[in-house]
Parts: sequence; C-alpha cells; structure tokens
Amino acid sequence: MSDIDIKRISYLAKLKLPSEKEEFYSNSLKDIIKWVDNLKKVDTKKIEPLHNVTEKTVSIRNDEVIKSNSVDDVLSNAPERAQNFFKVPKVVE
Amino acid sequence: MSNNWEMVIGLEVHAQLKTSSKLFSSSPNQFGSEPNENVNFIDSGMPGMLPVMNFGCIEMAIKTGYALNFKINKHSVFERKNYFYPDLPQGYQISQFEFPILSEGYINIESGDNQKKIRIERAHLEQDAGKSIHDIDPKYSFIDLNRVGTPLLEIVSYPDLSSADEVINYMSSLRQLLMYIDVCDGNMQEGSLRADVNLSVRKKGQELGTRCEIKNLNSFKFIKQAIEYEFQRQINIIDGGGEIEQNTMLFDTSTGETRAMRSKEFSHDYRYFPDPDLLPVNLTQEQIDKIKPLVGELPQDKLNKYIDNYSLDKDIAKIIIAEKQNANLFEKMISESTVKPKFIAAWLVGDIFAFIKENNLEVNSLNEKTKDITDLLRLISDDVISNKVGKEILPKVLNSEGKPSELVKELGLEQVSDSGELEKIIDEVLVGEEENILKFQGGSDRVLGYFVGKCLKATKGKGNPKLINKILLERLKK
Amino acid sequence: MKNSISQIKKALIEKKISVSELYDEYLVKAKSGNNNSFNLVIDRENNISSIKDSQNRYDNGNPLPLDGIPLGIKDLFCTKGIRTTASSKILSNFIPNYESFVTQQLLNDGSIFIGKNNCDEFAMGSSNETSYFGPVINPWKNKNSQKDNLVPGGSSGGSAAAVAEGSCVASIGTDTGGSIRQPASLCGIVGLKPTFGSCSRWGIVAFASSLDQAGPLTNCVEDAAYILNSVNKHDFNDSTSSNHQREDYLIDMNNSLEKKVKIGIPSDYLEDVSDDILNQIDNTKKALSKHGIEFVDVEFKTTEYALSTYYILAPAEASSNLARYDGVRYGVREDGESLDDIYLNSRTKGFGDEVTRRILIGAYVLSAGYYDAYYRQAQKVRRLIKNDFQRILNEVDFILTPTTPNEAFKIGDKLDPISMYKNDIYTVPTSLAGLPGISIPSGLSKNGLPLGVQFIGNYFEEKTLLQLAALAEKELSFNEQ
Repeated sequence: MSDIDIKRISYLAKLKLPSEKEEFYSNSLKDIIKWVDNLKKVDTKKIEPLHNVTEKTVSIRNDEVIKSNSVDDVLSNAPERAQNFFKVPKVVE
Repeated sequence: MSNNWEMVIGLEVHAQLKTSSKLFSSSPNQFGSEPNENVNFIDSGMPGMLPVMNFGCIEMAIKTGYALNFKINKHSVFERKNYFYPDLPQGYQISQFEFPILSEGYINIESGDNQKKIRIERAHLEQDAGKSIHDIDPKYSFIDLNRVGTPLLEIVSYPDLSSADEVINYMSSLRQLLMYIDVCDGNMQEGSLRADVNLSVRKKGQELGTRCEIKNLNSFKFIKQAIEYEFQRQINIIDGGGEIEQNTMLFDTSTGETRAMRSKEFSHDYRYFPDPDLLPVNLTQEQIDKIKPLVGELPQDKLNKYIDNYSLDKDIAKIIIAEKQNANLFEKMISESTVKPKFIAAWLVGDIFAFIKENNLEVNSLNEKTKDITDLLRLISDDVISNKVGKEILPKVLNSEGKPSELVKELGLEQVSDSGELEKIIDEVLVGEEENILKFQGGSDRVLGYFVGKCLKATKGKGNPKLINKILLERLKK
Repeated sequence: MKNSISQIKKALIEKKISVSELYDEYLVKAKSGNNNSFNLVIDRENNISSIKDSQNRYDNGNPLPLDGIPLGIKDLFCTKGIRTTASSKILSNFIPNYESFVTQQLLNDGSIFIGKNNCDEFAMGSSNETSYFGPVINPWKNKNSQKDNLVPGGSSGGSAAAVAEGSCVASIGTDTGGSIRQPASLCGIVGLKPTFGSCSRWGIVAFASSLDQAGPLTNCVEDAAYILNSVNKHDFNDSTSSNHQREDYLIDMNNSLEKKVKIGIPSDYLEDVSDDILNQIDNTKKALSKHGIEFVDVEFKTTEYALSTYYILAPAEASSNLARYDGVRYGVREDGESLDDIYLNSRTKGFGDEVTRRILIGAYVLSAGYYDAYYRQAQKVRRLIKNDFQRILNEVDFILTPTTPNEAFKIGDKLDPISMYKNDIYTVPTSLAGLPGISIPSGLSKNGLPLGVQFIGNYFEEKTLLQLAALAEKELSFNEQ
C-alpha cells in the first residue's frame, strides 16, 4: 500500500482539515485502506466491472420542455442572492 | 527565426446542441433568458435530484456521427468528472470518458490548393456549466445557472492541424456541417460553438513538443490571434533557452495575448467514474439506422450535384453551399421554375445576395418570394426584358412592391424584340455613319460595340441586345 | 402489543377513534419522547387540513390505503416546505421546495407525517451516533445494566427507535448497506430493504446511488406490506427505477407459501458468532421446519470481500454525491474571505467526522493511480458477489442469516470505525447484490435485548419474501413476548 497524501486528498475533496486532525484522518485512512486491501488478491482478470445491478436502460426522455418551478423556488434557500442571481465573493480565475 | 519552426495543433470544439430541453433535465435550452429562469431543481443541484437522459441529444450525436464519418458506438457510458466551481452546481460534470458515443471520425478541409484529411479522435456528450458574472460588482460574482445542463458535443481532433488558417478552415467546416445537419446554430458570439486549442511547436521534422491548451475561444478572429501569439511565445521561450511548461492558458481578447491560468496547489485529478444515477446508453443498430435519413445532403454532396447536374462553376457553387439556407433557397427556386439553374445561381450570388447584404436581411426571409424571383428571372432569360432592366426591377420584387410582369408593364420596360421596329431604329442610327461603317468593314470589331451602344440608347435600354446585334451585323456586312 | 395498521384502520372505520385523536396520541409521544428519535416534529397546524380530509374520507366510507396513519419519515427524504437536514449541519437550514417520490406516494395514500426521524449524518453510520442533532437512544435497555443508554443501530436509528417507542405507527427509512435492517433488528421491529430499483430515489438525499434504497420500518410484517404497496412504484424520473409490474403485497399475505420452500443457511456467516446469534437461527429454523420448509447449508465464496467492496464503492459514490454541498445555493454557508474559503469552510465545518472520513476515502480510491486498484477492482468483485448470490439462489428459494453480529451496544462504545463497519457484515452483501432483504425480530439475547434474522429473496420477489417473513413472525410470536 502506498502512503496517503492527506493534503492532496483533502484538496481534491475541497476540505481544509485543521492541522491537528490531519494525522487523525491520515491514520484512519491508512487503517481502512489496509483493511480493504484484501480485494487485491481476488482474481478479476476476466470480470467486467458492475456499475449498477440494474443494467438495462429504462428512462429515456423525449426532447420536451417542462417547466415545473419558479425562479424563486430555486433561489429560496440561497445563503445570499442579488435579485435573481446567486451571490458569492468574487471568483478569481 | 520562426521559419524553421512549425506548430502542431489539436482542437477540442464544444458545440451546443440545439435541443428544446437540456441534456438531463426538462428545462428549456435557451439563450438570453432572464437570470436563472431556465433552472429547475436538477439543474441547481438540489439534494436528491436525479438526471434523466434526453434522447434528442443522442439523436443529434448520431447525426453528427454520420456527417463527420465517425464510428457510432452502440455502447456509451456517462461518467462524472469531479471538480469544484460555482458554475457547476453538482460538484461534477456529467460527461463521457472511457466510452464516448462517437470515435474515430474525420473531415476533409482545404489547405492551400489541396485537400487535407483531419482525423477526429472522438466526440462525446456532456453538460455545459453555468455562468458567473464578474463585472456587476467589484467584490462579488453573480451566478446564473441558465446554461447549466445545456447539451454539448465535444469534438476532439487529432493534432493534425499545422497553421492558424487550417484551424480556421477546420473550424468553419465543422460549423458548416453541424449547421447543415441542424444540430448546432453555429452562433459563436453566443457561445454555441467554442474551441480549446492545444498547441505545441517543434523544429521541422522533430518530435512533438510540450503543448499548452488555450481555453474557450469563441471567434475565428480570436482563434487566429491566440494561435499566432502562442506560437511566437513558445518559440521565444525555447530560443531563449527555456522549456515549455504544460499549462492551461487564457486568451486576453483586449491585449491579444495568452497567459497561464493561476496555477493550482495540486494538479487536477477529475476522478472520473461511471455515474451511478445513469445506466449505460445501449443503442440498437435499428435505432442508429433510423437516424441516418435525418442527416440529409451534406455540403460536399450538394457541391458535386451543383457542378455535375446543374453545370455551375465551382466558385459559384461554393458560395451557395457555404450555408445551408443559401442552398435551400437555391434549390427551392430550381424546383419552382424552369429557368436554368446556372442562370438562377448567377443572379443569386450576384444581385440577390448583394440586396440581402445591403439590407441586412436573413437569407431565409426570401423563402416566401422565390416564385416572384424566378418569374423575374424567367422574363430576363426569355428576353422579355433586358438584364439591365432586370437589375432595376429586382429590388422592387424583393421589396414586394409588385409582381414582376406587372412591374414591367407598369414601368413600360418590356424589351423591344420586334425586328421590324428595331430595323427602323437601327437604320436611323446608321445614317451619317459611313466612316464608321467603312472602319468595321475594314476589320475594326470595336465599332460594333459603339453601334450597339447607340442603338440601345435609342431604344432607351429596352431593345433586345441580341437582336440588335444580329440586325446590325446584317446591315453592316452589306 | 402495538396496534398494526389494519387494526388501526379498523378502529377508525368503526369510529372507535377519530383521525385527530389517533394523530394526537402519537404526536404527544413524539413530542415528549426522550430518545431523540426526531430531528423535527411537525406542528399540528401544518397537518390540520390533512387530518380533516382523512376523517372526511372515513366518514364517507372511502378511506385511502394508509388514511390517517401517523408515519415517521427519515430525515433523508426531501419534504416540501418541511426542513430536511440529512442530520447534517451543512443542511440544517434547508427547506426543499419539492417532495420526494416515495413520501409523495405516502401522502397520496392518506398518511399523515408526524415528523422527520433522526438518522446518521447523510446515512453514514451503523449506530446513529454521527447525527449533528445528537445520538438516538434505543428504547430497549440491557436488563443487566439498566441505566446504560444503547444505540438503536443506524443509519435509520431514529426511525427504528420511533417505531419501537410508539411515536409513529411506521417509518420510512433508507438502506445502503443495512441501514434499515440493522436498526430494525436492534430495536426489535421489522425492516425491509426492497430490491434495488423498486422504490424511486428521487428526492432522497443521496449517499451511494447504486446502493441506496427506501423501505419501511414497522411493527409487523403486514405493516411492511402496507407501506411497500404505497411506495413501490416505477418512477420515470429515476433512471435506475425498475419498470416491472408490481404486485399487491397484502393479498394472500398470510396464506401458506404455494410451493415447497427451500432455505439456504450460509455456513460461512456463522463462523465465530455468539450463542445469542446462533440461537436466532436455530429458533427460526425450528419454527419454520414445522411447515415443511427445508433447510440446507450453502456457502458463499465472496463473503470476506463484501465489506471491503462496500467500503470502497459507497464512499467513492458519496464523495461525489456530497460535492454539491458547498454553501453557494443552499445550506449553511460559513464565512470566508474568498469564494474558495467559503467552499472550504462550509464543507469542513459542515460535515462531521464520519462523513469527512468517507469523503476522503472516496476521493482516495477514485484518484489517479488508485482507481484501478481500488474502485475498479471493487466493481469487479461486486459482480462476483452478485454472481455468488445468483448461484445460491438457483439452489434455494431464500437465504436465512442473522441480521447483525451482535445486540445493541452502549452509546460511545465503538470508537474505531472498522469495528463499527463490521456491524454490517450480514446486510452489506445483499445490498451489493441489490437483492431484497427483510429483518424480523427473532428473539432476545441473554441481556434481554432484541435480535433479528434476515431473509433474503430473489430480485423483485418481495411478495413471497413477505409471505415467508409473515409465517416466521407468527411462529416466532415475538410480538406476544
């Protein structure tokens, strides 16, 4: 098992772990990854991955417009809004 | 010296599909609505909301598959591309990764005097993101999710392009094809068609260099500028002893320069995995076959037809097929009249297009007037009126001021094709021209033009030039 | 013994009680309950018109299937106009403007919602200790240690406790790796996880999309059939919802099974288990053998890989499903200088420890360099597990297993995540295979705590599964104890 770069993983997950917790999670992840490592010994060369137990396509929509909510319905839970926009501090590219 | 250098370019073109509704939700797929007007709970990434695929998008992808010579895959899989951005409500973009719907296509483009085959690696369906508006407030961004979920077809070429002009030709050919098969409106200004340019440089004959990706270019002009700037930038770095860093670049439209995007603490890792909310798309051959007839005639088919069947000059044929609406108008006129296609084509690319341009009209707006136009062309080709008179009447016909035959009568512009009448006029013109007659008989052809002009003037332009010519020759040879 | 739905409906039809009186009885219990089984009890005013409408239908003699029945709703189902939190800080102020498909069916059938049941945060947990609103207390006590507060199991711990304490007639929960069956077992009630694809996931706060499935927690098997009849419907808006023909699960419920039934008991499940647990299997075997049901030993080849597979796949899906909680469009936004700070702060402060841990696991197993070794390998093993079940279900009609490896434990006892994860050892394999499983109470442990057994049936065979469970329930007569 490779080392776990907890800083990189929390970056990917958009989490900012307090430094005192980094070790806690790092150890915890190591334990769990070690625990699930037993899968590596299963021979799966000829096995296709299973994404979903239902493997048939069922729901396909025709190209039709249905409007079932107001703009307010979408914005009513917004922490901050400006007229009909969601509002956030400036995004810097 | 950039002479020894060449550029190697691959293009990722994002084409917004012109479906009525979005890729995975029933919200309208519409540009220019009020903020967040076209947003439902799926689009805004509310908890527990689930995507349902729009078959219209699959249909358009298949049409594109036929038009761009792709292999159409029966099995494709939607995956999640995970990254955080305020324009991306779910925290992931649903896209296709390992199993795209289209693979291994190509189109032919013009490169100088030759045709060049540009191979296309793949095309896949994915969701567009929303938009952040940064220029309303100095401290805040405003988020409009209307564009979220708009279906995109991302068309990824191989690095087969080697100049800005080739890129423009490739991009405009794609645009033309997508508009022909009616899957994209081609409106680059509104972002319906955008390109990411992957560019690297190398000394001629050497191995590929490190590439940089210039994101989100939405006009031919910017594409050209960005490529030229980036080409020179990379050469300058290498010539200065530096190395190219693989980077994502932005193009600043105001300065015409490219610059690297703020580098992140860590490199991207999109963690693609099959979207568990969606099952794989499995198409039958029957479903795919059914869509083939919807593709219709492609520009190249029409070009060949116009040249072979209608005897059009290649240049004129090309102008007509450039846009589907031109071709539609042309073919409508052919089907509605017995005027020779070649004659119609000449008028179409000449005076008719000039009229459209001058008056800022849509080509489609003439679809209602084709009968009148061909009636007018009939009068001209039957020598009822002269070319010159035709040109005068055309704007009136296009402005719906009257039917061509009525206008001709009203204005007394019918061509004089009565030989008796013309003979009389010509005899009068020849009086006192003995010297010029002798010159003609002495071999000066130019004198004929002089006499024709005089005769036309005498008939106030209504005289049939061919007939005048014929009678004149008879008289002069005596 | 508590009243079943059919008994309550009978009383309502015979006017021995009014809808309003019935509702108040449960409302009082829900409001005065000490077990923290509700995140929110709905105000009486909000239900007044439903109560009136329901009473009218009884008065007119045409009540709906669940008319007037007070239900608890796991706080993972979005309920229109009613706060829905997934027991997380990050959603603690979220009021959906839509109703989940499943709860809409329950409303359409006349039921009345008492409130939103506490659960583990984003349904991640096996003890209901990860809730932002505090742990749920199991109504049962260890007879040898009466003062200890025990866990109800999880993640539908609030639902199980509420049904067990009598503050709702039944509750609708969700099960991803055992989240209905395990708490049902530890609280001495019935819990059914239907076949994946039976009940729409539309409007349920997602944990792991390829595993999440709604199902009832009830006092008896018949009640489970009542709820299943209401919620088991095809939904076009969930692409994984199956469109097969549904049966009426109540009809013939108590009739004996039509054909001769063979039940497999996986010997590998029973290695190293306590006598308490072995007793449950033996009791059930004895009770059913009287009815000519045959029991055979079966053996899985994949059991040891099930938990590993689950703890790769579920966190992977969760890490992506929970990316939408960012404080931009809804939920609790934490302050920050820049947008990036808002994201980081809202998410870091908004999620509890266990959720954070699983998001990290998920991001790790999907990340470049680890995807094939973990995520893709787990998907392949998942297929082997599914095949393993299909092989055994070709030999037998049902599979009988314990529901849990142990009785309810003390709150705060299991601190180590892996030992907590092992609670789901008997329920996770069924979830991975997508098969239906039902836990029914089967007896008491030496400490006087309830334990359950699980019956597993074939895909969409809920009807016979319920018939078998009803028969076992009658024979085990746990309700009379």
